Amino acid sequence: MVTREEQDLAVKILDEKTNRQLLYYLDICTRCGICKDACHQYVATGDVLYLPASRAQLIRKVFRKYFTIQGKLIPSVVEATAPNDKLLEDLYRASYACTSCRRCMYYCPFSIDTTWFTSIGRAMLVAIGRGATILGELADAAIMKGENIDMFRDILIEGLKDTEDEFKARVGDPAATIPIGKKGAHSLYVALAGTHTILPMAIIFHQAKADWSLSLFEAANYGYFYGDTARAKKIAQRFVDEAKALGVQELIISECGHAYRVMEFLYEAWAKEKLPFKIRAVVDVMHDYIKEGRIKLKPGSLLEPVTYHDPCQVGRNGGFYEEPRNIVKAVAADYREMTPNREKQWCCGGGGGLVAESEFDTLRQVSGQKKVEQIRKTGAKVLVTPCENCRLQIEMLNEKNNLGIRISSMMDLVVESMDLPGAKPA
Amino acid sequence: MADELKPDLELDLKGLLCPLPMVRVSQNITKVAVGGIIKATASDPGSMADIPSWARTTGNEVVKTERDGKNFVFYVKRLK
Amino acid sequence: MDWFSFIVAGIMVYVAVAVFLIGSIYRVIQWRRAPKSTVKQGMFPRAENPFKRTLKLGKDSLLFPQVLDTDRWMWFFVIGMHLAGIGLFFGHLRLLFEITPLYNALGAGGMETLASWVGGAIGISLFIAFTYFLLRRFKSPYRELSVPEDYLLLLLILLLVLLGDHLRLTHPFDLASYRDYMSSLLHFKPAFSTAITFSADKWVLDAHVLTANMLLIYFPFSKLVHAMGGFAGNLLRSE
Ligand code: SF4
Ligand code: SF4
Repeated sequence: MVTREEQDLAVKILDEKTNRQLLYYLDICTRCGICKDACHQYVATGDVLYLPASRAQLIRKVFRKYFTIQGKLIPSVVEATAPNDKLLEDLYRASYACTSCRRCMYYCPFSIDTTWFTSIGRAMLVAIGRGATILGELADAAIMKGENIDMFRDILIEGLKDTEDEFKARVGDPAATIPIGKKGAHSLYVALAGTHTILPMAIIFHQAKADWSLSLFEAANYGYFYGDTARAKKIAQRFVDEAKALGVQELIISECGHAYRVMEFLYEAWAKEKLPFKIRAVVDVMHDYIKEGRIKLKPGSLLEPVTYHDPCQVGRNGGFYEEPRNIVKAVAADYREMTPNREKQWCCGGGGGLVAESEFDTLRQVSGQKKVEQIRKTGAKVLVTPCENCRLQIEMLNEKNNLGIRISSMMDLVVESMDLPGAKPA
Repeated sequence: MADELKPDLELDLKGLLCPLPMVRVSQNITKVAVGGIIKATASDPGSMADIPSWARTTGNEVVKTERDGKNFVFYVKRLK
Repeated sequence: MDWFSFIVAGIMVYVAVAVFLIGSIYRVIQWRRAPKSTVKQGMFPRAENPFKRTLKLGKDSLLFPQVLDTDRWMWFFVIGMHLAGIGLFFGHLRLLFEITPLYNALGAGGMETLASWVGGAIGISLFIAFTYFLLRRFKSPYRELSVPEDYLLLLLILLLVLLGDHLRLTHPFDLASYRDYMSSLLHFKPAFSTAITFSADKWVLDAHVLTANMLLIYFPFSKLVHAMGGFAGNLLRSE
């Protein structure tokens, strides 16, 4: 049972998060339901709670109760409601399931951004201890790592040993190293946890003769998924501080959609500061290298049919539609487009932190059906996409639906079609 | 000491990318009793930092880590 | 004017217009006063310059291309309803001021014929469109999405339209009397002509004005403010 204090706290968070955008959105939604066909989760399940406007409606009900004349005079007409247990349970499912793809915003005639509501929903739940546990644990672990980096530095560097050996072999240069903490480097590259986004980029940077340094931290931001701006800021701040200390000119975010969105569009607003360096998406950097001739790809070297999936945070919400396509088309002999694509592309179903939340496993599987159909139609054997969450989700869809495709990151695709002195180890 | 490291549950997390190894440990920790031990084998080097950080923030303990060829093995003890 | 008409079709009209205007301005001020988040919310592709951005804003807000993409029938009725609404505005304006160029071109008879055809068509289209909106709400998932406010608003508008249609369509349209009434309102001496006072339509007119008043009063506090805020929402899209 939710207590009175918890209710007050949730309402307080809503009050704090209320700004001009939210007021517009609260007031102008006509509940026309046009957004219903935009959401892959509603379309796949038919569950009205997943209809974008229904998710927003939960916040609207609470807002009306506490902050509007209508809610006070005619509560039942406008369905003004206190955040009771039922509402909070619905809010949990509606908010944490949302992949933040913003396809609904694209289709809403008033461009209402449902994620504005779902992120407030998450923040309210976090405040009263009802947030998604696993996302909180992941966020705290990341912060912990940031606060105790001295303890982890050697472990992390140790973990890179094998990768570095492989890197030397591939580029045929025994003196090649993976630079960490290189003062005055031009760019700081923030990879993902593990080495699968470090090795290929090390090769690409090396071949492009780029002046770079590797961040000790991973790009993913579970604080953002959790819905807690304070945690999200702390997590991003780990490599912001690192970049400042090294004096780099650009911070390159690996193939991770939300991490790029956080840095390019949200961080400065959270931290109320202007960053002294540029934020770049790694696809954009690779694209530049290719355009400038700093790395050379073998045209048509990939013979199997290839398709490209626009990650929501890279395409619709990040602005890179053509750069990744140009890279794929530069190496693919047979490129096939999915329809719809670009700003109308269907979300794969794996965003918003869902890949880490087992409670949404079934939903992820079901709501990925649109993507499955799209992929099937192209007949592609390889799918390339520059987002880790998309890849994890599509891997799962591939397996469960026997799609028989190979899923590749952009950087792996690039490395595979480069002429390297050293052979790929078996 | 020796029998303290007898795992109550073994998790094969090889091939999983970060943060999934950590997520699996978290999901399974309640499957052993307090004081029980999970032996988790992961191949992603990111787990070298992830799993110990997770253990510290959640109040559990990594009692031992070891390398097994290319893999990383963690003995995680449930403390609460 | 009898006292009921005087209250409903006289005093209340002023109150309603005042609430509508002050309320709407108040809502806009309320929006503008709230701090704007510094998060850039735009989606891509982004309009490259302010001109294109304005063009996109106009297209999105007036032609609803995304609705056309999603639900053709809905688009048809929504566009029809909004166009009819604009026509309706000019139709009522004609009770205050003659649209002179049109009048000169068509002559008195021609103008009357045009007005009755267009007015009739608008009245019927609005009735059909709002009936469609109302029926649509009874269908899942719109039913689950709707709150009582949505039905009440539609019922109020339907009643308003129906009463208006009755005045426009059922008998010879008494243009002169309605003009007298409108101008009496404008001169703050609300009065009905003798013709209206002694006709049974007086009650219909009273009811028509009453529902219009209610709509005006409720407007600033309802989702109808999308007529103003919709533009702001669509502007955020290309921020
Ligand atoms: S499309 Fe927009 S206005 Fe219509 S119900 Fe959805 S959010 Fe509301
Ligand atoms: S952002 Fe995506 S997942 Fe969330 S409600 Fe909108 S369409 Fe659905």
